[in-house]
Amino acid sequence: MGDRLTQVQDAVDQLAQQFVAALYFVQRRHDLETLGPKDKIFTPKQDGQAPPSEVDSLPVDDFRAGLTELSRDLITKEQQIEYLISMLPGLQNSEQDQERAIKELEEDLKAAESQRREALKERDQILAELDQVIRSIRRP
Amino acid sequence: MADQEQSTSSTFPNPPPFWQDFTPDNLNRIEQLRKSFAEANPTRDVPTRLPDIPESLINLQPPAEPKDGRFRIFGEHFTVRISPPKDPMSSSSLIYPRANQKVQQLENKLVTLEEGGITNLARTHPSRQGDNATPSSSLNRRDVPHTDHALELKRLVKSLLLNFLELAGTLSINPNDGPAKVADLEILLFNIHHALNEYRPHQARESAAELMQEHLDRTRRETTAIRSQVEKARRVLEGLGSLTIPAEAERGAAAAAGEDAAQVAEELRALDRRRDAELWAATDAAFA
Repeated sequence: MGDRLTQVQDAVDQLAQQFVAALYFVQRRHDLETLGPKDKIFTPKQDGQAPPSEVDSLPVDDFRAGLTELSRDLITKEQQIEYLISMLPGLQNSEQDQERAIKELEEDLKAAESQRREALKERDQILAELDQVIRSIRRP
Repeated sequence: MADQEQSTSSTFPNPPPFWQDFTPDNLNRIEQLRKSFAEANPTRDVPTRLPDIPESLINLQPPAEPKDGRFRIFGEHFTVRISPPKDPMSSSSLIYPRANQKVQQLENKLVTLEEGGITNLARTHPSRQGDNATPSSSLNRRDVPHTDHALELKRLVKSLLLNFLELAGTLSINPNDGPAKVADLEILLFNIHHALNEYRPHQARESAAELMQEHLDRTRRETTAIRSQVEKARRVLEGLGSLTIPAEAERGAAAAAGEDAAQVAEELRALDRRRDAELWAATDAAFA
């Protein structure tokens, strides 16, 4: 989980990987079809050391379902990326806005810090007073 | 045994050879040189690197900036631009106000798409709109919000999806045309990553502001908490103060009556006990 820019970049990389995965699925898992009456589907003989088949066909319905799922995933990923992009920090700020904001924050910080110091001093003082009182209880 | 020693000693690489140059003797010598330089040039500040330094002391000062703006760290190449000190409004001068005054800055520059041999598709990023722009317009450019940038990115991502669809179509009709489409996708991906990297400085500034805001809130919360505690302690003190005084008075009156010594002592003890009880009751009430 990185910053938002890295998230977008990771998402883009994932999308690219999904492209590859989708093409691979289509390439490997489709069924063989005859295009004309003379075509014959070549089936390697079952006996002996038959070379592995080029395609590892899925039933038509499963293949269709796979295609749908992959396409849906692709679109979801793309939507995710767009969402992430619109979530990028400070889209509506220009560089000057940022600088102004940072400067203001710097001054506010200084003020807040001095206030804090003051409060701390006050606290130490009151603590000392309280301490004195508590000590004096024992003595009379 | 010897093998073991070998393997333990090679777990980490040896330190660079010049560490042995940092002897007390050499350090003293370079200090001397610095002093004499300062005396010889009273008007100038002593630079980080003294000119005309003896060969044996050369490693005691940092090396010169790369002349051609290229250097390597951990095997990766970096390019820098040696820029003149920046104008006071620039963002880095806010964070390092001192660094800009004397030191020339090494500026890490993103390699542009054109330099990387990639077609540049998007041109909306403020920093990319025409390097031939006049200085006056460069000021205006920093005023531009980044909404266009996001729009451009979205366009690129949409094109990515469309191009993949086209690739799938192309492959089903004529697989030989596939590589051309893949090249298109590649260009798109490069462009997206480049655009995102261009956005990084912006995000960095934004995060800095966010961190500062957080720190500010925390400081303020702390201050309020301290104040409320102080207020409470003060109330306790006031409660105690209003209680002890009448007790003291009573005790003084009892002593002044000057009756039998034993009786006085007895009364005093009773008074003390009562006073203690009152005190604790008041303390409990104040802390409750």
